[in-house]
Amino acid sequence: MILTIFCWLALILFFGLSLWKAKQFASLPMHGRQDLYPIPLESSEKHAYGGSYMEEDRWFEKEHKHNNVAMVIDMLGEMLFIKKLFVNQNKFWWISYALHLGIYAALAWTVLLFVGAFAGMESAFGSIVYVLVTIAGVVAGVLMTLGTIGLIVKRLTVLEFKNYTTPQEMFNLFFLLAVAVTGLLTFLLNGCNFTYGYAITYAMTRFQALSEVCAGSLYPVANTGILYLHIILLGLVMIYIPLCKMSHYVGKYFTFHNVIWDNRPNLPGSKVEATIIKESSIAPAPGKNWSAPHYQPAPAPTDEAK
Amino acid sequence: MIDGRKLGPRDIGKLPGEQLTFIDTKQLMPLPAPFDNPDTWPKWQEPKPEWREKYAASLDGVIAIDTFETPKTKEEQDELVRKFLSGVEKMLSNEANKGIIQCLNLSMEYCAKCNTCSNACHIFEASGYNEIYRPTYRAEVLRMIVKKYFTKGGKLMPKFVGADIDLTWEVVARLGESAYRCNLCRRCNQTCPLALDNSLFAKEIRKIFSQEMGIAPKPLFEKGDMLQLKTGSSTGITKAAFLDTIEFLDEDCADLTGYEYVTPIDKKGADILLIHNAGEFMAWPENPTAFTILFNEAGLDWTLSSDMMGYDNVNYGIWHDDLMAKKLAVAQNEAAKKLGVQRIVIAECGHAHKAAAVVADRFYPGKDRVPVQSFLPLLRDLVLKGTYDLDPSRNNFLTTLHDPCNYVRQMGIVKPQRDILNAVMPKGNFHEMEPHGVNNYCCGGGSGFAIMNSMNFTYFRNSVSSRKKLQQVLNAFGEASADPNIIKYITAPCSNCKGAFRDLLEAWHMEDYNFHYGGLVELVVNAMTKFETPFLEFLRDE
Ligand code: SF4
Ligand code: SF4
Repeated sequence: MILTIFCWLALILFFGLSLWKAKQFASLPMHGRQDLYPIPLESSEKHAYGGSYMEEDRWFEKEHKHNNVAMVIDMLGEMLFIKKLFVNQNKFWWISYALHLGIYAALAWTVLLFVGAFAGMESAFGSIVYVLVTIAGVVAGVLMTLGTIGLIVKRLTVLEFKNYTTPQEMFNLFFLLAVAVTGLLTFLLNGCNFTYGYAITYAMTRFQALSEVCAGSLYPVANTGILYLHIILLGLVMIYIPLCKMSHYVGKYFTFHNVIWDNRPNLPGSKVEATIIKESSIAPAPGKNWSAPHYQPAPAPTDEAK
Repeated sequence: MIDGRKLGPRDIGKLPGEQLTFIDTKQLMPLPAPFDNPDTWPKWQEPKPEWREKYAASLDGVIAIDTFETPKTKEEQDELVRKFLSGVEKMLSNEANKGIIQCLNLSMEYCAKCNTCSNACHIFEASGYNEIYRPTYRAEVLRMIVKKYFTKGGKLMPKFVGADIDLTWEVVARLGESAYRCNLCRRCNQTCPLALDNSLFAKEIRKIFSQEMGIAPKPLFEKGDMLQLKTGSSTGITKAAFLDTIEFLDEDCADLTGYEYVTPIDKKGADILLIHNAGEFMAWPENPTAFTILFNEAGLDWTLSSDMMGYDNVNYGIWHDDLMAKKLAVAQNEAAKKLGVQRIVIAECGHAHKAAAVVADRFYPGKDRVPVQSFLPLLRDLVLKGTYDLDPSRNNFLTTLHDPCNYVRQMGIVKPQRDILNAVMPKGNFHEMEPHGVNNYCCGGGSGFAIMNSMNFTYFRNSVSSRKKLQQVLNAFGEASADPNIIKYITAPCSNCKGAFRDLLEAWHMEDYNFHYGGLVELVVNAMTKFETPFLEFLRDE
């Protein structure tokens, strides 16, 4: 039962901590403008060459429409393909993309397993799900393994990466590798199928002890040792990710949406103006402001000067 | 000294008391003709022994911060480190640094060390890939310091999290210098898959030095912000001198064109308050004159201001000091309010565009702001509407267009200048640089470099930070670059960029190859059929 509880805990903590992280960034004061073009929110004609509403005479009197479709397309390009890396550093894109695609496949695998926990394997729908689970699972295991190994080798051998990589960053890669390898081993040592995955989500959704499900006849798992090790590593990595910089899926939302694409002008009556007014009271406590001489209030005139 | 290509962020404290690395002139990025032979390149200027003694020359031998006298006694050295750390603490404060803390935290936390940004940096490339110029270098050093002193992980497991840095006074000094090896052009930011901004780290280090330690290059602070707040202009032009200058310019204009154009000053309730970079009045007077001709010919309701803060759009504060940036921007807005104009139009100055329209945009509520816009869309509309009778063949030379980072990459004003150029240049004479538009490279003078000339900093600018731009210019003109019989005009619609080009052309003796530079409005006036004499001086000399 402990493992079932741990699985739920890991899942809840993953989402909970990611949201907490997002809330931390969202609660910081509004920053000064950092627009950086091209911005997909501009009209498609302008977006094509990086133009903005500021290319218009008297822009402040004109309506500034947002092109949300282009924004979503751009965002998806970044999320699904890491477009900027592909365009600007083609050589290493494949390695990084393998890892990321592997993680996306692992997420799909998890979702499918929850569907499978209710659909079973027998019905037509259930068997389609099973096929998809198998594809997603194999792709996830193989790509994550190759991707992490590729990144580890790159960071150990190429000086320009080695010099900037911290032990923690290497640890993160090894951690992901361990999860991927134990997953693949569990698959291989249990008849090359993902019954074990079904056992996990079945136990979770029925709130049963995983050991009982594995010992039962519905989703039998023979080699539970490697399975338990995999579950513990997977659960730990899910809790760890939002706490370290692997939570860049949260950061990336802010850096794009909230920073380089935020070109909303401070017009009278605008939301930006309202925020400025609301946040105008945020100021350093006495003694906590910058201390260069020009930051000090001008001295009161001395008697002599008066 | 250590070969820069082998240095890592942890090495920044190595070789105390010596110079850490050097600009390897043999490794500098090669250039096309006529500078394909390294013998034609400007010679490296070794720092003089007395400079080394007094200032921080121990990063790469270049000195940017001409007010930073290095500490000599142990107490002074410890105090420097203490003050720096106290600045870092304020940098991390939601209150003391509220205008940037969200962006900074994101960039501080999420760098994946993928080095994609490095390929985008013109300084890193031009240097022959010296690590100290890599966009992530100073970022990583600052990150290590932050982790070591301001995070639990850094205190508990410094090596594991990458906080194993020894923060000596020399590290502080080198970091301060390294902040002035970045043009704050944000080209690296544009290519980052996580949209992180490494220029922020350079800017924050500059801010710590300026706002906490009271140290900033003289041209930016003492002779820049402070002089402007005191006299009205960083050029030192006072109101009386400004009024005299405008009178002279109008007279000169009448002599040249045969027409009387009067520059309106302090016209209450005008539609437009045009603000120039006051440097133009001294260095490139033809530029404000061209504006006067174009605005008067179009019959615009416009004015200049003679208010102390109304005739210079410069704002050097945006490069090193938030308080200075705010004071200047607020005062400029007040000058416009006093005149009761409907809008501020910024003339040919890139950083002033960004300072007034973007940086200052969230300084105070919108209702208190006079709307700010660029001159470019206004002029584009006038030109395309047929306001002026133009004959492109009068601009019978080649040109290329420099895109100032501040209003192109950072404001998205890309097309109006091209529409104007295409209307005033003969077909086929306008050659784009590659890449251009929002993917342009900085002129190398960005973030204050164009006005920083103390000691050997000029060498760094002309040979390293402007190098990529030089390469782009030469490539844009192709074989014509080495042909002294072909006139080549670099259109640079920005005062600071023009300053950088002026020095570049001089340092590389490019006049010998018939290179010229100047603004955009001059080309429009030169194409006007109304005037007999060419407006561009180099055409008059022909
Ligand atoms: S902002 Fe520009 S100069 Fe600075 S590191 Fe980035 S690309 Fe290089
Ligand atoms: S591109 Fe972005 S994530 Fe990659 S090293 Fe540069 S700043 Fe870091």
